[in-house]
Amino acid sequence: MAAQEFYTRMGDGKRVTMTKEKIMADLQAGTADAADMGTIPALTADDLERLLDIICDRNRVVAVEPGNEVVLTYDIGQLDFTGDNGNSGNGVDMGRLEAALIHERALGADTFELAHSDYSIKPVKPVISMEMQTMEEIQQEIIAPFFYGAMPNMGLYYAPDGPYGNPADLMREFKIDESMQQSELAAEHLARDIEYVGNKIMAAGADGFDFDTMASAGDADFVGGLKGVEALRKANPLAYINTGMAGESVMGIHGGIEFHGKTVAGLFPHQQVKVCEEAGANVFGAVCNTNTSKSLAWNMARAVTFVKECVKQASIPVHCDLGMGVGGIPMFETPPIDAVTRASKAMVEIAKCDGV
Amino acid sequence: MAGFENEKKALQDAMVAYKVPGILDAVEKARAAKMPANDIINAMGDGMTEVGVLFERGRLFLPHVLSAAAGMTKAMEVLGEDLKAQGGAAAAKKASVVMGTVEGDVHDIGKSICSTMLQCAGFDVHDLGRDVPKQKFIDECNNGCSMCGMSALMTTTMTVQRDVIEMMKEAGIRDKIVVMVGGAPVTQSWCDKIGADVYGESASETVSKVKDL
Amino acid sequence: MDMAHMIASGMGGIRTAGDLVARMEYAKNMKIDKAKEYVAKKLGLSTLDIADEHIMRDLREELKIGVVTGLPGAPRGIAAKMNIEKLLDIKINSCEKFRQSLKN
Repeated sequence: MAAQEFYTRMGDGKRVTMTKEKIMADLQAGTADAADMGTIPALTADDLERLLDIICDRNRVVAVEPGNEVVLTYDIGQLDFTGDNGNSGNGVDMGRLEAALIHERALGADTFELAHSDYSIKPVKPVISMEMQTMEEIQQEIIAPFFYGAMPNMGLYYAPDGPYGNPADLMREFKIDESMQQSELAAEHLARDIEYVGNKIMAAGADGFDFDTMASAGDADFVGGLKGVEALRKANPLAYINTGMAGESVMGIHGGIEFHGKTVAGLFPHQQVKVCEEAGANVFGAVCNTNTSKSLAWNMARAVTFVKECVKQASIPVHCDLGMGVGGIPMFETPPIDAVTRASKAMVEIAKCDGV
Repeated sequence: MAGFENEKKALQDAMVAYKVPGILDAVEKARAAKMPANDIINAMGDGMTEVGVLFERGRLFLPHVLSAAAGMTKAMEVLGEDLKAQGGAAAAKKASVVMGTVEGDVHDIGKSICSTMLQCAGFDVHDLGRDVPKQKFIDECNNGCSMCGMSALMTTTMTVQRDVIEMMKEAGIRDKIVVMVGGAPVTQSWCDKIGADVYGESASETVSKVKDL
Repeated sequence: MDMAHMIASGMGGIRTAGDLVARMEYAKNMKIDKAKEYVAKKLGLSTLDIADEHIMRDLREELKIGVVTGLPGAPRGIAAKMNIEKLLDIKINSCEKFRQSLKN
């Protein structure tokens, strides 16, 4: 590596070396892409200089300055220990109480959550009593806020897994109206299931509910999730509600479905947060997808641009999603620590997010 | 296509506006101006590429993409006849492509969009849907498909893409097939590692890459 | 990943006052600076101090709000959270449910 070059990463995690000039060029291109896509302001020259310093830091691990620390929230609960590589789990079998307490007492977790192995609302319904018992048991021991977490995952409501016609299949046959109608029906069903599961788990003493990967099946999934959040909030004023997104833009599979008179397809993080606030969320989880063919610099600048505007527009705290393949972090099963800590510091100190 | 710039722009704009009557109207005007059928199809294909990009950037939604595709499909009924009349040959498909989400994986939307865009770009697409058994990809290749697109949305299923490539080698057909891979956890590194030919970060990028092959 | 974020930007949970700040974000929709100020004020500390293990370890024990090390006799679970309710002037769902389950 030449003296003027720096070790950095590509979006797929591969290590590369780049000059300061090339890194800055990628930072500028990344922020410009986000600004164009979201119709939001690009990062300032000062922001870009700070990002450049973070990326070019010669240390492997970087961190925020003392006093700038933020709250950490988690998805998939104990599955990060017990799961398989499909959810980046370690394949270590252990009880859910043990996993929660290890996070609290050994890993410095500010919050944690309980999760079903399928991590989706629908399969939790038949086992909700078991989930309630486990929630009651862990609440007796844990001190940190302890959520129940699940994805709305409306894909499970469509054929072949559920009772409603699959919009992708119907669209391919140009049955556009029917596809939209099936999405609407599935969204109503999802909202009812969220209300059912959410109310039960709150009755078991949960601190709240973490809705992970909202809108993964598109705009109708988002509306179903929002309606579920609204019902849960109405019945549980004390609930801590986290709404984390699936992507930087809400995919328009229906195209016209609305929440409180607003079309949700195509909403970006700074707009998504406003509808989540309306539904009754306490914290919004902003997501920006990583482009694996671009550099860490390009991805970080792009993600920080989206999240900075989101934080600016939000009336509630914003926790940036900094997992595999989001928030500038490379899409790789074991994301390199140098890239993870750089994204973490940038999101906190430049985007000014309230948590990670 | 010199001399038909206005028609070309009108056709592309009509595709981006995604309304079937508007697309058919633009096609009729281009035909009335004596624009060759092949050029009309190419202009609509360029418009469709733009539609795909706008979808990926959150400006257009899936019903709009499908509406534009429906408009193009409808227009092809007339343009196919024109092509025969003008050169004696019907619209030649670029290549036959088998598309599918690999077995064990039910994620479908991204692959479906990619299939639609390939179809609009002139490819003969055989979309097998989701959770497709490995052998089905091989069977389609043996039945004439020269391109094979496999989508995987999970780290646990992306390995199936490698399995199918190995099966192609065993069947002695690997060299005859262009293998495309895509999906959230799939990267250029993975594409290189398993010996696939094309990695698509998005549907529009995939179409753009295979058009250049 | 969990450890990397904790080292890079996390408050440290019950090692410090991370759980308390998290509660204020969720219970009152407070953004991070406001939540830290609120907790710091209740603890009689600065916002820098509330993420300092050296300060928070003993203070948590004194306040009986739970400590990160295994300490026999120190309140944890519902007992620690009931003390947190009083400290932060909030209601915690598991404590409410626990109280409701008591027969007066």
